[in-house]
Amino acid sequence: MKLTRTALLLTALFSTVASLPVMAADIKIGVTEALTGGAAQYGVPIRNGFQLAADEINAKGGVNGNKIQLVIEDEQGKKEEGINVFKKLIFQDKVLMIFGPTLSNSMFAAGPVANAAKTVAFGTSNTANGITDIGPYIFRNSVMESDVLPVTVATAVKHYKVKQVAVIYGNDDAFTKSGYDVFKKVLEEQKIPVTTTETYVKGDVDFKAQLTKIKGTNPDAVVCSCLAEEAANIMLQARGLGIKAPFIGGNGFNSPKLFEISKLAGEGTFVGSPWSNANPAPANKNFVAAYQKKYGGEPNQFAAQAYDAMYVAAAALKDVKLSGDLAADREALKNALPKVSIEGATGPFKFRPAKTKDGKPGGWDADQKPFIYQVQGGKFTLYTGK
Amino acid sequence: MEWFNDFWSTYSTLVFTVGVHMLLALSIWLTLSCGLLSLANAAFMGIGAYVSALLTLNAGWAFPTVLLAGGIAPALVALVIGAPVLRLSGVYLAMATLAFGEVVRITVLNLDITGGPEGLNGIPLATEGWHIALLLLLAFYGLARLRRSKVGRAFEAIKEDEIAARLMGINVNRYKLLAFVLGGFIAGIAGALNAHFTFFISPREYGFEPAVDILTMAVLGGTGSLVGPALGAGILTLLPELLRFLHDFRSLVNGAVLVLVVLFLPKGIWEPRRIRAFFRKGGQA
Amino acid sequence: MLEQQLLNALTLGSVYALFALGFTLVFGVLAVINLSHGAVFMVGSYVALALVTQLDAPLWAAMLGAALASGGLGLLVDVLILKPLRVRNAPHLIPMIATIGVAIMVTSSSQGLFGAEIRRFPEETLPAADFMVGAVHVRVLEIAIVAIAFLLMAVLFITLKRTQLGRALRAIAESPKAAYLMGINVEGLFHVTSFVAAALGGIAGVLIGLDFNAITPQMGQPILHKGIAVIILGGMGDIRGALIGGLFLGFAEVISKAYLSSQMGDAVAFGLLFLILLVRPSGLFGRVLERKA
Repeated sequence: MKLTRTALLLTALFSTVASLPVMAADIKIGVTEALTGGAAQYGVPIRNGFQLAADEINAKGGVNGNKIQLVIEDEQGKKEEGINVFKKLIFQDKVLMIFGPTLSNSMFAAGPVANAAKTVAFGTSNTANGITDIGPYIFRNSVMESDVLPVTVATAVKHYKVKQVAVIYGNDDAFTKSGYDVFKKVLEEQKIPVTTTETYVKGDVDFKAQLTKIKGTNPDAVVCSCLAEEAANIMLQARGLGIKAPFIGGNGFNSPKLFEISKLAGEGTFVGSPWSNANPAPANKNFVAAYQKKYGGEPNQFAAQAYDAMYVAAAALKDVKLSGDLAADREALKNALPKVSIEGATGPFKFRPAKTKDGKPGGWDADQKPFIYQVQGGKFTLYTGK
Repeated sequence: MEWFNDFWSTYSTLVFTVGVHMLLALSIWLTLSCGLLSLANAAFMGIGAYVSALLTLNAGWAFPTVLLAGGIAPALVALVIGAPVLRLSGVYLAMATLAFGEVVRITVLNLDITGGPEGLNGIPLATEGWHIALLLLLAFYGLARLRRSKVGRAFEAIKEDEIAARLMGINVNRYKLLAFVLGGFIAGIAGALNAHFTFFISPREYGFEPAVDILTMAVLGGTGSLVGPALGAGILTLLPELLRFLHDFRSLVNGAVLVLVVLFLPKGIWEPRRIRAFFRKGGQA
Repeated sequence: MLEQQLLNALTLGSVYALFALGFTLVFGVLAVINLSHGAVFMVGSYVALALVTQLDAPLWAAMLGAALASGGLGLLVDVLILKPLRVRNAPHLIPMIATIGVAIMVTSSSQGLFGAEIRRFPEETLPAADFMVGAVHVRVLEIAIVAIAFLLMAVLFITLKRTQLGRALRAIAESPKAAYLMGINVEGLFHVTSFVAAALGGIAGVLIGLDFNAITPQMGQPILHKGIAVIILGGMGDIRGALIGGLFLGFAEVISKAYLSSQMGDAVAFGLLFLILLVRPSGLFGRVLERKA
C-alpha cells in the first residue's frame, strides 16, 4: 500500500521534474533554541545568527534558487520541550534538518529522536562530551574544550612562566563542569600543580569567599571554567580583593559581555576560542558589521557559530539534488554535510568523525583550530607570542 | 489511521509527559488528602529516576523490576525521613520538604555515579504508552479504593481536624507516614517512567520549580477528588504547547491562568457540584 | 585571611537580610508566603537601571524610583489578588500559589520587555572606591549594604515597637479579627505593609544589582530560595529574625566554603535549614507563631 503510493509519488515527481524547468521551492529548516527561560541569553543570539545568515543567503538568491525558510521553535532549555519540538519539526513541519537545541542537556534528550528519524540535528552550542555519540545524524560546529584548552593553557603558562594555578568553576552546570574536567586533565598532563579548586553554582553572584581562599594560596594564574557573565564578576571581585594573578579562561569567556561588565579587571587574561570579534578575516568583519546593523548590539560567539552553521548547511545543500522525497533528501543532506569546508566568521571550518566510546558510528564534530587571545585594553587581541 | 500515526509520532512524548505529570499530581494529592503540604515529590521523582536509570545502564535489569525499584527507593527514603519531618505542620512542613529536596539535588550534583551536573545520558527508550496508561489506571483504581476504605476516612479525619482525629483513637502519625511513603512511591515510579523516554536526566529537573509545579497542578485541578489533580496536570502540560504562538509572552499567560483560577475557581477547576449547578442553570435558561 | 572571610560573610549575610526583611514582614502581618518577592526585587533593579541609563537620574533618585515602582507592584498584587482571597478566607496555601503565578507573569514580561541578557549599572553610577584595613580589602559599597541593612532593620523594628502604627501591625499579626474589632483599619494596614515590603525588596534589588553587577529577569529566583531559608532560620515573621537569620546563613555559607569545600556552600545552607526545622520548628531564634487562617 505504502510502497505503491511512494512509487506513484516518485513517478509523478520525476515526470514533473523532467517536463518542467526546475521550480524554486522553499527549503524548510528547523531552528530549536531556548528563546525563553534562563538559557534564552544564549538561545536568542543563536537564533539571530541563523536568521542573519538565512536572510543573507536568500537575498543572494537562495541555494540553487531555493529560498531557505526557517521554522523557529522555542525549547525553553527544557528536555521534554526539546523532544516535543524536535518531533513537531520532524513529523509535522517536515523540515529537512534541525539546528539546535541550545543546551547540551536538551541535545542529549532530543538528539536520539532526530537520529532515530534519520534527520540531521546540528548543534551550534553543545560542547559536552558524548553529544556526537548519539549517532551519525548528529553534527556540531561548536568546538569542544578538549581541542582548545591544551593550547590555551600551554600558551599562558609559557607567557607568564606559571608555576602553580588555582581553579574555579561552576559545578552545577554541564558546560562549565565539562570544561573543568578538561582543564583538570590538561593541567595534569602539563604537570602544573593546582593550589586549590573552588566551585560555585548557577545564580551565585558573590564569589568572595572562594576568591579569598584562592588569594591565600598565592597562585600565578587563576584557571576559570565559567560563563562570561560569571567570569566578569569573578574578575571584578578578585581585583576587589587584591588578587593580581591573570586569568586563564575556557570557551565561556568568549563574549563581549566579559568586558562590558568587567571593564579592565580582565587585563592579561588568556582565552582560546574558535571565534573572537577581533578576528580580522573578511568573513568575520562582514558578520560583525551585519549583525550590528540588524540587531543593534555586539554579536557573541554563539551568534557567530550559528551564523557559520547556516553557511555550512547551505554549502552542503548546494551539492544535494532535492528530490522532494523527504527521507531521501534528509539522507542526502546527511551524506553531504561531512564534505563541507568553509571560511566562516569563526575561520576555516570542517567536520571530523566523532570518536565514540563504544565504537559505534557516531556523528560529526568540529575540526577547527583555536585562536589564542590575550586581553589588552579591554579587548581580545590575537596573541602573537611576544 | 494515517492521521493517528502522524499525530502519534509528533505528540507521543507530550502524551507520555501528561501521563507522568498526572501520576505526580496524584502523588501529591495523596499527602494533601491527609492534610500534609509536602513539597518533596520532585525530589522523590528524582530519586526514582536516578535509581532506575542507573539500574538500567549499569546493572541491565529488566524494565518492570527497574520501575519497581524506582518506586521503592524513594519510598524507603520517605520512610526514614518521615518520622521526624511529619511532626511539622503547615508551612513549616512545606519548607522542610523543600529543603530536603535541595539537599537531594545538591547530593546528586556532587556524586560521580550520577554524572554530576552533566546528568545521565544514553538511557535507552523503554517506556511505552501502555505502561503509563496501565500504571495510571492502577493508581486511579488503588487511590479510589483507598479513599473509600478505613484508611481514606482516617486521612479525611486527620485533614479536617488532627486533634479530634487523635482523640478518636486514630494513629495519626502512622497514617501520615503511610500517605508520605505512598506518595513517594508513586512519584518515584513517575520519575522512572520519565527517565526511560527522555533519554537523559539531570539534577536540574528535580529542584524547586518542579516541586512547585507539581503542587500547582493538583491545586489548579482541585484536590477534592482524584479527577482534579489529573485534570490540572493535563491542562498545565498542554497549555504551554497550545500557547506556542505567543513566543516570548507564553509563560506570561501560564502565570495569568494560575492567578485567575486561584481567584475565581477557589476549589480548582474540577468541582462536580459547581459544574452540575452550572449545567442546571444553563438548562433552565 | 579570616578577617577577609568574616567581612565577606557580613556582606553576604546583610544581602540576605536585606532581601528577607520585606519577605518576613509580609509573612508576619499578612501570614502569606509571598513567592513573588523575588520578582518584585528584580523589578526594582530594572527600574533603577532604566532611570540611570535612560534619564541619567542620580543614584538616590533611581533608588527612590525603584522603591516606588516595586512598592506599587506589591500594592497592586495585594489589592487585586491577596485581598479577594482574604475576603474569601482562602486557606494559606492558596495565596502562596497565587504569588507563584504573579512571579511567573512578572518574570516573563520582564524578559519580553528587557531581554534575557545580563545587564549592569554603568560603571560611573558608583565609584568603585575601596581601601585597606590591615590585610582586608573593603569596598565602600559593601559598607553601604551592611549599613543600609542594619538601618532599615532598626527603623522597621522601632516602628513596630514604638509607634501606634507598629502596635496596630502587631495586633494584626496576633489576630486580624481582634485587631478589626479594636477599630484598627486592618485592610488599610495590609495595603501599607504590602507596599512597604515590596519597596524594601526593590531597594534590596538595586543594592544587590549594584554590588554583583548581574541584573537578569531570573535574578530573583536564587535569592528567593535563600530568603526562604533565612526567614525560617530567623523565625518567620520576625523582623530581627530576618537580620539574624540572614547573617547566620551568610556566615554558615562563607565559613563552609572557606574551611570545608566550596561545593558545600548550598548543601550546608539547606541541610542546616532542614535540621533546624526538625529540632526547632519555630526557627533558631523565633518564637512559636501559630495562627489559624
